[in-house]
Amino acid sequence: MESQIQQIHQQLVDKKISCVGLIQEKLNALKENTHNTVNALLSELALEKAANVDAKIANGETIGLLEGIPFGVKDVYMLQGTYATASSDLLKNYKSPYTATAIQKLLNAGAIPIVKENCDSFGHGSSSENTIFGAVKNAVNPELVGGGSSGGSAVNVAKDYTIFSIGGDTGGSVRQPAGYNNIYGLKPTYGRISRYGLMAYASSTDCVGPLAKSVEDIRIVLNAMSGKDTKDQTTYTSETIEESSILNTDDIKTVGYFKNFIESEAIDAQIKEDFLASIEKIKAKGIQVKELDFFKSDILVSTYYTLAMAETASNLSRLDGTNYGDRIDDKDLKESYAITRSEKFSEETKRRIVGGNQVLSQGFSDEIYLKGLALRDAISENFEKDFEAVDIILSPVTPSTPPKIGDSLKDPLAMYLSDAYTVGFSLGQLPTLTVPQGTQTGLQVTAAKNNDELVLKFANFLKDTI
Amino acid sequence: MSKIMTVDVLSSIKGAQPSKAVSRLFDVIKNAQTTNNNPFNNNHNNCVSLNNLRDDVVVESSTLEKQIIKDNFPKEKAGYLVVSKVIDA
Repeated sequence: MESQIQQIHQQLVDKKISCVGLIQEKLNALKENTHNTVNALLSELALEKAANVDAKIANGETIGLLEGIPFGVKDVYMLQGTYATASSDLLKNYKSPYTATAIQKLLNAGAIPIVKENCDSFGHGSSSENTIFGAVKNAVNPELVGGGSSGGSAVNVAKDYTIFSIGGDTGGSVRQPAGYNNIYGLKPTYGRISRYGLMAYASSTDCVGPLAKSVEDIRIVLNAMSGKDTKDQTTYTSETIEESSILNTDDIKTVGYFKNFIESEAIDAQIKEDFLASIEKIKAKGIQVKELDFFKSDILVSTYYTLAMAETASNLSRLDGTNYGDRIDDKDLKESYAITRSEKFSEETKRRIVGGNQVLSQGFSDEIYLKGLALRDAISENFEKDFEAVDIILSPVTPSTPPKIGDSLKDPLAMYLSDAYTVGFSLGQLPTLTVPQGTQTGLQVTAAKNNDELVLKFANFLKDTI
Repeated sequence: MSKIMTVDVLSSIKGAQPSKAVSRLFDVIKNAQTTNNNPFNNNHNNCVSLNNLRDDVVVESSTLEKQIIKDNFPKEKAGYLVVSKVIDA
């Protein structure tokens, strides 16, 4: 599919559509939708901004490419004056006092936020069922999960309710729901986009990530949000990725894949077959394909969850009903904290907080947490060696197809293991893109750190190859 | 208070117990082999250089921001947030 952003921009400039009409149409579709993707509609704000865009066009003023383009925001981002619930009971009445840097940059470019989107509470989940707003239903088959944690964002894009959406990816939360709903979803290099105003889950892997229906739209939105931000000291200065630079794919010579991902007993037979067929098509284009060795999937998943739980226990300790969120009063402060957190956090969130505190506690930290940090370093070093041998690493997004709604909640361990192919790249802080081709849940394209451009370039190559 | 605190106390979650699913993840870590057992001997941290630290400045919140923060905490007494009785150490 060609760029929807460019198409709509041209229609607005040519006065074939009005911005108010466009926004109203999207708001109506979101309101009527039965996929549970909406936590809050931003109707008043959106229509006011749309009227301003129409007035500019009527006055003959030039509008920017993103001006008037409707987009969705996962409900873990601050957007001043709107609810920021994280799909949780604890924050269901919490209003954002300020706006996240990434969202502010889109506002500055004229894009219009129309919806706060349903997700797994605090990003905790791989199915978007861990939410007080009802399980998100898959865009292709509503009996299946929408994927998580950015499930509402992915379904809104897939169903054309938004032109693009902004999700958040910690261990695969943009890439996995993108794969489940057949759209593009990017986890950029860690630090390329500011995390300021994104509710912290696991700070060392949290990334702001766009979801859209074309590589070009991902590129446009990525450029708009990137850049160094003094409010997030882990950000770095990055170059704008030009359209022309991702169209010429001649310099991609070698592609690698992890043979243990494909030889695993856990992979669905059809996904394996389709992945290997894609590899053959790439070989037929003259690209050299190398098999790579990597850590076992269970080590990747355990390392990721150990570190992520430790970080979330620390990050969510501030959510005690006094600093943020609803409070239940009890006999003293200590009891008020405990009863508030016991009643207002979901079972999955509590499981992760308890796990994190276990990891960080006396007697556990040496043999688990510090070992986990050492393993992450070993994983990163492994990636550095791999990218000396290949330009791109290709993998399936998930080992299996989306589960039925209700099944993930019964078996948390199975849900954690469903992230086996996404979490490793998060630990490496590498740019990784879900491409809706090759297998039923897509292909995952990964390049070396800071090489987001190459990821988009290879996605363009796949469009013509598979 | 005991020096070793239980996870329900550490987590401020009543009756919290370790989960079997999570414990199985930890078992994998315990048994994993790594050539590098020193987590502080690496080059992969996202450190900020001393020359790159942001200035220590006080930024005044906007009137709207202040109002939203107050709205988030409706319980108020003489202009202050109401907090439950402070516990003794």
